[in-house]
Amino acid sequence: MTISFHPDIATLMSFSAGTLDEPYAVVISTHLAMCEACREQVKRTNLIGGALLSLEPATEMSAGSLDRFMSRLDDAEPVQPKQQSKPGVPAPLAAYLPDGIDAVHWKFSGPGVAIADLPTSRNASGRLMLLRVAGGRKVPEHSHGGQELTLILKGAYRDRFGVFAAGDIADHDEDVEHQPIAEPGEDCICLVAVDAKLSFRSRLVRTLQPLFGI
Amino acid sequence: MMLRLGVETGTAEDLAQETMLNVWRKAHLYSAEKGAASTWIFTIARNLRIDHIRRQSSRPYVDLDDVEIESDAPLGSAVVEQSQIVARVAKALDVLPPEQREVVRLSFIMEMPQSEIAERTGIPLGTVKSRLRLAYDRLRPLLEDLH
Repeated sequence: MTISFHPDIATLMSFSAGTLDEPYAVVISTHLAMCEACREQVKRTNLIGGALLSLEPATEMSAGSLDRFMSRLDDAEPVQPKQQSKPGVPAPLAAYLPDGIDAVHWKFSGPGVAIADLPTSRNASGRLMLLRVAGGRKVPEHSHGGQELTLILKGAYRDRFGVFAAGDIADHDEDVEHQPIAEPGEDCICLVAVDAKLSFRSRLVRTLQPLFGI
Repeated sequence: MMLRLGVETGTAEDLAQETMLNVWRKAHLYSAEKGAASTWIFTIARNLRIDHIRRQSSRPYVDLDDVEIESDAPLGSAVVEQSQIVARVAKALDVLPPEQREVVRLSFIMEMPQSEIAERTGIPLGTVKSRLRLAYDRLRPLLEDLH
C-alpha cells in the first residue's frame, strides 16, 4: 500500500502521549495498522515518553505497598497477545465494527452521501463515524468546528490537497475549508473523527444540516 | 506519572501497581529490539490510564502492541543500545527551549490534550501544535538513530 498523506507529527505525539480523544485515537490506530512509516514514527514518539519518564523525580509509595504488590504477583498469569481480526476491517477498528463493514446501517445524508455513527465510550467528546460517498459525488464544501481526521478505507477522493486513497489520512485544523469529490468508480468509504458538527457553507445545506445529522 | 493525573494518591498508586503487574505479566512479550524498557513501561502505564478513564466502557483502547501487526521493517540492523538512546533523548529534552519543553512535558507527563494545554497556558492551539512540531524536529536526529 502506497500512502501519500500522513497525520501531523503533533497529532502522533499526542497519540503517543495518550491524550487524543477516543474517536481520534481510533482513526490514528487504524491508520497505523495500514501504514508502516507511521508505526515507525510512533515508536520514536513513544520514546519521548519513555525518556521523559526517566527524568521525572520518583515518588514514595505508601507503607505496605510493596507487600501488597508482591502478593498480587503470586496470582499473576502471563498475558497472551490478543488476535482480533475481521475480514476487510483493520484490527483496531474491529471492536467498533463487530459485524464488519457490510453490516453497517447507513443514514442518508444528501445525494450520494451516507454516514454511520460508531458508538464510543461515554467519556469521548468527539464523534466517530463512517462516511460513504458514491463515485463522482461531492461532499458539500465545509469548514471544521475543530480538528477533523479522515482516513480513507476504500476508494478515493480528490480535493484541493490532492487525491486521497486507501490508507491516506487528512489531518485538518478548524480553519481548513475543502470540498472532497469521490473519484469516479467505486464508493469512497472513510473513517472520520470530528469534535464538533461540521459547518457547511451554503445556507441551504446549513438549513438541512440538522435534518441530515452531519 | 500516575500521581500527576489529578487522581487521588490511592488511585495513582493502584495504577502504578497495575502497571508493574502488567510489566510482569507481559514480560515474555517484550523484546529489546522493539525498544527501550522505559518506553515499553511508559506505553503500558499510558494504556492503563486510558482504560481507567474509559472504565465505563466495554471497549478498551486499542493496544497496538497486543495486535501484533506483521512488520516488514528491518529489525534495527545496527541496534544502538536502546538505553543509551533514552539517555541521549532525555538529555536533549533537558536542553529544549523552555517553551517547547513545557508543551512536551504537559503532553506526555501531565497528559493534557492539546486544547487543554492551550487553555491552561493561554497560548493559541496553533502555537501548541507548532511547539510540539519544533520539539520533534530537534529530537528527530536522535530518535532516528533507532534504525
